[in-house]
Amino acid sequence: MKFTKYSLAALALATVFSTVQAKSLLITNATVQTATAQGVLSKASVLVDDGKIVAINPSNQVTADEVIDAQGKILTPGFIAVMNNLGLVEVSAVSSSRDASDKKAKITFDASLAFNPLSTAIAYTRKGGITRSVVSPNGGEDLFKGQTFVVDLTGKFNSVLQANTAVVAAVGAERKGSRAMALQKLFNTFEDAEKKLAKAKKEKASKAKGKLAKKEKKAKAAAEPKRDEKIINAVLAGKKPLLVYADRATDILALIKLKKRFNLDLVILDAGDAELVAKQLVAANVPVVIDAMRDLPGSFDSLHVSLKTAANLINAGVKVAFFNQDTHNIYQLRFDAGNAVANGVSKQAALAAVTSNIADIFHLNAGEIAKGQAADLVLWSADPFELSSHVEKMWIAGDEYSTQARQDKLRNRYLKKSALPTAYSK
Amino acid sequence: MSKYAPSLVMIALTASLSGCLTKEPQDAKVTINKNPYPSTYQHLPQKNTLITNTTVLIGNGERLDNADVLFIEGKIKQVGKNLTADNAQVIDGTGKWVTPGIVDVHSHLGVYPSPSFESNADGNEMTNPNTSRVWAEHSVWPQDPGFNTARAGGITTLQILPGSANLFGGRGVTLKNVPSVTMQGMKFPDAPYGLKMACGENPKRVYGSQHEAPSTRMGNMAGYREAWAKAVEYKRAWEKYDADYAAGKNPKAPKRDLTLDTLRGVLEGDIRIQNHCYKAEEMAMMIDLGKEFHYNSGTFHHAVEAYKIADLLAENGNCVAMWPDWWGFKMEAYDMVQENAAIVDAAKNSCAIVHSDSGKTIQRLNQEAGKIMYRADDHGFDLKPQDAIRWITLNAAKAVGLNDKIGSLEQGKNADVVIWNQNPFSVYAHAEQVFIDGAKVFDANDKAYQAQSDFLVGQSALKTTKASTPSSLTTATAQ
Repeated sequence: MKFTKYSLAALALATVFSTVQAKSLLITNATVQTATAQGVLSKASVLVDDGKIVAINPSNQVTADEVIDAQGKILTPGFIAVMNNLGLVEVSAVSSSRDASDKKAKITFDASLAFNPLSTAIAYTRKGGITRSVVSPNGGEDLFKGQTFVVDLTGKFNSVLQANTAVVAAVGAERKGSRAMALQKLFNTFEDAEKKLAKAKKEKASKAKGKLAKKEKKAKAAAEPKRDEKIINAVLAGKKPLLVYADRATDILALIKLKKRFNLDLVILDAGDAELVAKQLVAANVPVVIDAMRDLPGSFDSLHVSLKTAANLINAGVKVAFFNQDTHNIYQLRFDAGNAVANGVSKQAALAAVTSNIADIFHLNAGEIAKGQAADLVLWSADPFELSSHVEKMWIAGDEYSTQARQDKLRNRYLKKSALPTAYSK
Repeated sequence: MSKYAPSLVMIALTASLSGCLTKEPQDAKVTINKNPYPSTYQHLPQKNTLITNTTVLIGNGERLDNADVLFIEGKIKQVGKNLTADNAQVIDGTGKWVTPGIVDVHSHLGVYPSPSFESNADGNEMTNPNTSRVWAEHSVWPQDPGFNTARAGGITTLQILPGSANLFGGRGVTLKNVPSVTMQGMKFPDAPYGLKMACGENPKRVYGSQHEAPSTRMGNMAGYREAWAKAVEYKRAWEKYDADYAAGKNPKAPKRDLTLDTLRGVLEGDIRIQNHCYKAEEMAMMIDLGKEFHYNSGTFHHAVEAYKIADLLAENGNCVAMWPDWWGFKMEAYDMVQENAAIVDAAKNSCAIVHSDSGKTIQRLNQEAGKIMYRADDHGFDLKPQDAIRWITLNAAKAVGLNDKIGSLEQGKNADVVIWNQNPFSVYAHAEQVFIDGAKVFDANDKAYQAQSDFLVGQSALKTTKASTPSSLTTATAQ
């Protein structure tokens, strides 16, 4: 492959139709934390073209539309936030600004239709070096809360990358009733779907042999899977992950059983007492996504959660990713990772927990600095997990984005001295 | 308001009445016991201690490098170079940092404890917009595991406040963060009470949704003013009673009112206002409200918009407690800027504080302050660790009226001390040892000094490696 500078005409065109073709970019002299088996590469270069990473340490002859000398600073993959309400809420207490929940929401709930890329939380979230998010609905009364969708944090109208990517459910302590009902419903749902599929398969086989009468054909048409059934079938086929909030060890064990019985792509969220069943999680190859800062026993379901949970799970061999579910402060994810390091997680594992493990668990083509990955990159002033560092530059799919947010504009106008009231300050 | 059995302390008059021939004999003087639930706090075993060759943030804005800290019999004796002391344990502080114990002016530990069951949720008496009669100390569950995790984060003193549903939420209490079976055992001796007030959205939402007053911000203001007007009368009635009694008359004591007792305490300067108030225009009105009824408008908490009126707050001597980055959960928290505390701090005679309001972030108030310092320095400020530490030590102590006792490592102050494994404004920092009144209350490397709540005893299903030592049971749950 050969990389040359685009002609001026092409550049001009690119400005007008900026979505048509991203500029090529070469970041040189970076300390690249790849979040892959390659580990950390010092004085490394990363070449980006058409929104993708096309080479690590390309030959010296290579150049690009834009060349950035990183001066030895740290380059990481963009961090990936998951299971938040980004773009689905502007102000939590303002009901008219909330779109993540609906009383009637079921497994079919596709909140991506409500995603607002202009939410002020998005630019603010970029301050945390976060380039992408798996947004989740909160659902309603049903066991199934709806489906997740993937967005980038460009703030542009085309930032929903993929809708309906995984099914969300929650089991555990109930204010009213028994936790058994939700678990039972989970098992029954998949069992019923499995039976129905088997029956349909049988009928299809019969049909193939021309044995179907007209009446039966009609019945068959009526039995075409409904929307919710199609989703369950996709989960059963392992095409859609099933993401389940669960804390208590017995709930986690029940879910592992569910996974084994139906061969599901299961992910446990929160997983407060996961440490008690770490071996079983490893054996069943079930990853967990946890809040690394959680250490108080919120209920009897999570009596064993501590700041050491992340380290202990990772040491036991569990695949661990981190999330921060405070939609307005997801940027803190990097500090969560830093605190995890302070409590025994290796820096590499902590980085993976906010990048490559997330990508792996949620099946995203991002989260690593590797050839072929989306060019979601962050250049840091220093250690990305430290309180003192900040994002110097960031790219989403190869385009540079600012971390300037509404908060910066407010600060600036109140720091500006003027004879006129602040309201005149632009 | 008078449906409460009066619990008056009748104090017999000691002065002789024999000389007053013309006057009717006086009944016993009625006085109100201002401290009916007194502290029973006892310091833990103290050790005279010399921490050597360390980086010291005094808490008052000063920093000393390669310095020593000496505390004797629970008090700071000296901070300086090449100190020596007989009969003191020596801790090598090389590479470590030493700060005053961290003070959180806004906590609901014990009143909104973990686990967060309704059975334990005792922080908000949402039955009347004015519940000045309730005292947070009467709700404190000392076994809240959050006290222990906060102590592991260097918290030595914390003010427990009622919630913000009401215009007047009730009295707050300041506790020493020592393990105790009783609230009184934690209560900071002679600390002034706080009175929680709340501006804005919460009171008007809670009562407005029940079609009761207040349902608007002007309703909030009317509610405060009516209460203060009554309190002024109540205060006057007691003053008249005291004066008449002193003049030898035999007046009837005013009817006791627990709500007005608290408000009167504010008017007399004994009780400090701790005001949940986010917005600039509301804080400005609360300052004027204090002037209208002649009380100190105190400390603003959750003051998300304080940066808009930093000068006004400093000029009026208000302390201002802030988060680094909480926003977006309500409209009144929409205009957050990450440098808020730094902007407030920059005004002359300011009193900027970083608070938690959270069982989670109280464990890392050092990091909360650090975030503000670094973000401010990213944008033209020049703040140093010795500046930022004031936000969680001396300034916080001032807000709860204890800056003469705690908040800095100055001679004669209580030896509330934290030894950090490194610069406390690093994400990787840990409190290694925590002292309250010169007694070790936490040691990250010694399980003997890691307290555990009764609630977590016998709950651990985790296998421990050293089953022979009882303390190993705490492995999973102590933190």
